Amino acid sequence: MLVVNVAACGSDDDKKDGPESFKGQTLTLWAMDGSTPEQWTKDVKAAFEKKTGAKLKLEVQQWNGIQQKITTALSESDPPDVIEVGNTQTPAYAATGGLADLSDLKKGLGKDWTPSLNKSAVYDGKQYAAPWFAVNRTVIYNKKIWAEAGIKGIPKTRQEFFDALEKIEKKTDAEPIYMPGQNWYFLDGLIIGQDADLVKKKGGKWVSNLADPKVGKAMEIYKKYASYSKAPKNKDEATPQQAEVFAKGRTGAFIGLSWEAATAIEANKKLEKDIGYFTIPGETADKPEGVFLGGSNLAVAAGSEKQELAKEFLKIALSDKFEGAMAKESGVIPNKTALQSNLKGNPAAEAAAPAVENGGLTPLIPEWGAVENPPNPIKTYMTSVLNGKSHDTAAKAVEDEMNKRLAQKQ
Amino acid sequence: MSVQTREAPPRKRRPAAAPRAAGPQPGEGRRADKATLPYLLLLPALALTAVFLGYPLVTNGMLSFQNLNMTQLIQHVTEWNGFANYTDTLSNEEFWRVTLRSVIFTAVNVVVIIVVGTLIGLLLARLGPRMRLLLSVALVLAWAMPIIAATTVYQWLFAQRFGVVNWVLAELGFESMADYNWTGTQLSTFFVISLLLVWTSVPFVAINLYAATTTIAKELYEAAALDGAGAWQSFKCVTLPFLKPFLLVATFLEIIWIFKAFPHVFAINEGGPNRLTETLPVYAFVEGVGGQHYGTGAAISVLTILILLALMAYYLRIVLRQEDADETENDGEMA
Repeated sequence: MLVVNVAACGSDDDKKDGPESFKGQTLTLWAMDGSTPEQWTKDVKAAFEKKTGAKLKLEVQQWNGIQQKITTALSESDPPDVIEVGNTQTPAYAATGGLADLSDLKKGLGKDWTPSLNKSAVYDGKQYAAPWFAVNRTVIYNKKIWAEAGIKGIPKTRQEFFDALEKIEKKTDAEPIYMPGQNWYFLDGLIIGQDADLVKKKGGKWVSNLADPKVGKAMEIYKKYASYSKAPKNKDEATPQQAEVFAKGRTGAFIGLSWEAATAIEANKKLEKDIGYFTIPGETADKPEGVFLGGSNLAVAAGSEKQELAKEFLKIALSDKFEGAMAKESGVIPNKTALQSNLKGNPAAEAAAPAVENGGLTPLIPEWGAVENPPNPIKTYMTSVLNGKSHDTAAKAVEDEMNKRLAQKQ
Repeated sequence: MSVQTREAPPRKRRPAAAPRAAGPQPGEGRRADKATLPYLLLLPALALTAVFLGYPLVTNGMLSFQNLNMTQLIQHVTEWNGFANYTDTLSNEEFWRVTLRSVIFTAVNVVVIIVVGTLIGLLLARLGPRMRLLLSVALVLAWAMPIIAATTVYQWLFAQRFGVVNWVLAELGFESMADYNWTGTQLSTFFVISLLLVWTSVPFVAINLYAATTTIAKELYEAAALDGAGAWQSFKCVTLPFLKPFLLVATFLEIIWIFKAFPHVFAINEGGPNRLTETLPVYAFVEGVGGQHYGTGAAISVLTILILLALMAYYLRIVLRQEDADETENDGEMA
């Protein structure tokens, strides 16, 4: 089993570019469940088959166990050619050598890719994937409760937001915001907003940087938000689903993704007309709060024998035409700022877009994944700060565990 | 995962009891056939065991001495690293916590299963034919339920918002249980898992025990009654000695069965919340496959088998001694 050696040796010599050369070939695309909207898929398929003469086979993957499945697929002699990879997971796969170098695509197709989105696709200075789309959190609020509290307009700065929450607390019997103690991706956004890093290099190894005062500042902001909430301090936003709490109609706002608003509406139809969205405000009005830009990249398997065809596919699927169509159909953030005009008419996406430029991710190192495995030490840190421990004490208490996880063999 | 065999090991049969062919004396050639025939008959079973149990076991053993993660798997490189996976695991506090949790989990479940199983077995022996049939059918159905199907049913029963259990509890007046999250804490998750395990395991014990009681001669109870024995005494002095070997074998099998139970524990809450309901097999899976540290996972699974063997060593001796004792006893009776 381990003897078979796969080398990515495409015989490019007898292949010429152009439609004819790809005739009879089939390109396999692995995309996650829910990533490929119907019309987009149909149009991309048609355009790809017309331009290259090859067939496109889309295999939709389920989230459960996807990492192991991609690992196994990349180890095979006949892997899927193009794979959707979660952006935070891209560095780990890039480090294995299982992804093809796409640096030449970056120069042409990727000239204007939004830097904050492209970051995850680069590892060790090389381009190992192409940014596809992202989603980020916004404030989702209940207009009725805000009206009840007499709030006019949308807060433009963090202080204005806190003032609004204060008003709701004083003037209504509603909970101003639902903020459980362990909404870790929101904290990650605040950390990005403070320009802080969660890891640092020490003696050639990655170690925790949680004790950094800048992280402490981010957590202070988080604590202020949480002070307007009655949510449990030791739970994250999924237990219970914050959207379902919000759906009961007595919560002023929550920080969430657009699908969570849909969940809330599904649970309580009457809420639909009262739901509004706005960008999470930052320190000053000109710069929104930092956000976590969860999303997906498209990568080409190093073991694929159809490298050229795979690149042809990327050039079509990620062209302005189809990238824009995708944003329009799914309401996701496209990979270029210029294409955000396609989000018009989608209030959730319109509120999300302004934060993208200053958004970020978790540390883009292969070792990071292990840190987030439950029980996530950062969540433990959050709960202890909210329960009254100082930033320093709480950070010191979990740093050993973080370092242990960061030191796991790759 | 090994193939689960739920049959009790065949009771030793003395060769003398095997029927002797009364026909013509077999010739020399046929005697040779006779000698090879049993081996030939064993061959398919042995081959299957070797392919489906032996090969994975050996491969797993080899993996446990390798540094095998995403990179090595994708690049097809073999990095031997000696006992590093073992020393890392054994020096990991988490591993020992999980081990202790597995042992307690096994002990609690086995005790409950054996006690409930025995009681139901005795009940079967005392019921009238119609009720006995009904109960037996119910037991067999519970036993025949595929594991994942059973797990899914239990997940529905204990679902937070629309589960029957929460609804019934709320109707009965326990209002606070209306929205209770059964998989929210370690104890409540273990409660659901244990209930499921007990429910699927009790039939095996009960039916076996019932079968054992049918071998007890009625005269013994009459004799005991004549001697003035009450219900408890006749149970203690007549029933229990007969049931003892059955109980030992059942306990033996249940320990293995519970200790290595993977699908029940994993499917209910994937070892959550916060990895607090991971038993050793789940821990091996989460570390190995979940974290993509396949070598470490293999080492944990090998250690799991060794721990199970260590736990069983004492017990195995009792069972073997018991069988020996039976044998001499039977020999004595026969003589």
